[in-house]
Amino acid sequence: MERHFEKELEDLKQRLVDMGALVDHQLEDACESLFSAKSDLARTVIERDGEVDTMDSAIDKQCQRILALAQPVAVDLRLLMAALQINTQLERIGDIAVNIAERTDALSDFTTFLRSLPLQEMMQIARIMVHDSLESFMTGRSSLAERVISSDDVVDNLGRDTFETIVRAMRNDNTLLEPGAHVLMLIHHVERMADHATNVAEGVIFLVEAKLVKHTSNATDRDNQRRGD
Amino acid sequence: MTMADGILVRQLHAWFGQVHVLHGIDLAIAPLAVTAIIGPSGCGKSTFIRCLNRMHEVVPGGRASGQVLLNGEDLYDPTVDPVQIRRGIGMVFQKPNPFPTMSVFENVAAGLRLGGVRNRGILQGTVEQALRQAALWDEVKDQLGKSGASLSGGQQQRLCIARALAVRPGVLLMDEPCSALDPISTLAMEELIFQLKDRYTIVIVTHNMQQAARVSDFTAFFYMGALIEIDETRKIFTSPGNKQTEDYVTGRFG
Repeated sequence: MERHFEKELEDLKQRLVDMGALVDHQLEDACESLFSAKSDLARTVIERDGEVDTMDSAIDKQCQRILALAQPVAVDLRLLMAALQINTQLERIGDIAVNIAERTDALSDFTTFLRSLPLQEMMQIARIMVHDSLESFMTGRSSLAERVISSDDVVDNLGRDTFETIVRAMRNDNTLLEPGAHVLMLIHHVERMADHATNVAEGVIFLVEAKLVKHTSNATDRDNQRRGD
Repeated sequence: MTMADGILVRQLHAWFGQVHVLHGIDLAIAPLAVTAIIGPSGCGKSTFIRCLNRMHEVVPGGRASGQVLLNGEDLYDPTVDPVQIRRGIGMVFQKPNPFPTMSVFENVAAGLRLGGVRNRGILQGTVEQALRQAALWDEVKDQLGKSGASLSGGQQQRLCIARALAVRPGVLLMDEPCSALDPISTLAMEELIFQLKDRYTIVIVTHNMQQAARVSDFTAFFYMGALIEIDETRKIFTSPGNKQTEDYVTGRFG
């Protein structure tokens, strides 16, 4: 007999998946607006952020209600804790999509320059991290979540490459000072996006394996923590 | 018997007539801690707790085999007197059962008198101490001569605890001690259990999983007469090692 409570948990999971899909869509449009100078698309992303915020509030309220009324334990408790964490991360990724879209107009005359930077690859990998972290949540595959966590270093390295490239370009050509400053901010946004995807992946590992892997600086530390050292 | 006795159970079997209700339980109960026994109806948890003070064999057709080691002494050794065992291991039942014709004072003093204590000063001191430990003294100190049956349900249950504590047991067994109490009395009882574990080894059988989570340090899950899992309570209610345990604590079966 399927209980009402289990339906409620399934509904919660589905809402998170829907929220993830919306945020993923926001990122896709934000990146396209930036690299293709699509001002209208950027505005759509900014306006649609209200939908992300609405979903964030609805999921928070649903978690609060389940915690108060059903007092979940064990795997159900972990799902609730992971859901609250993942929801917060997705809402912040949604904000980053807006941050990226907001720079579209300022960089609309520099798309060729933008495409020449490692930033584009950095963004692609960060987006894959977001996508895979959601996929790992949906499927319960902690190995995929592990892969997301290990990709964070790749994004950080590409961020450093972009930083060095842009500083060099700004030194050589002072017409690039203003767009360069925007790119420096974009590096920060994308690094944060990858960090949030990492946090989602850590939430999935907690849910599936009942292990806390956050605040571990590298893979060795994480392995030790999983072994209970 | 010291106050810090843990209990070691080895290959404990129990029967009601031909019905085999406990199938070789091996379990260590930590001293000065609360161990909760949970499991669906008929899993053998009440039978188990009654085997710990040899009360199971009092029921017609009830018999048990195996070892229950308390402070190294096997309670099922043929030379051991079960009456002495029951005096050293206090028990509190589902329904408060004060002696109805006795006063509050006499209820608590009953075990001492049976043990031959006659000295009025010792009786008074021990009764007061037991009532204080059971968190009942302040409520009844001016009515010690009143009938025990005149107290409220929650007070009666604490009176039964005081009665059990008066003979200074090392172990306190509780079989669904809150199931007949209202929420406020239940909270008072849970707070009392929390305080008593500093002095006593406590084993509590409960149907209420939230109660097990709130009051116990260790939780044992029984199913169909077998011990499925015992672990720290925080582990059982966050990430149990066994799928059956997880299904039970999350309400998916049982």
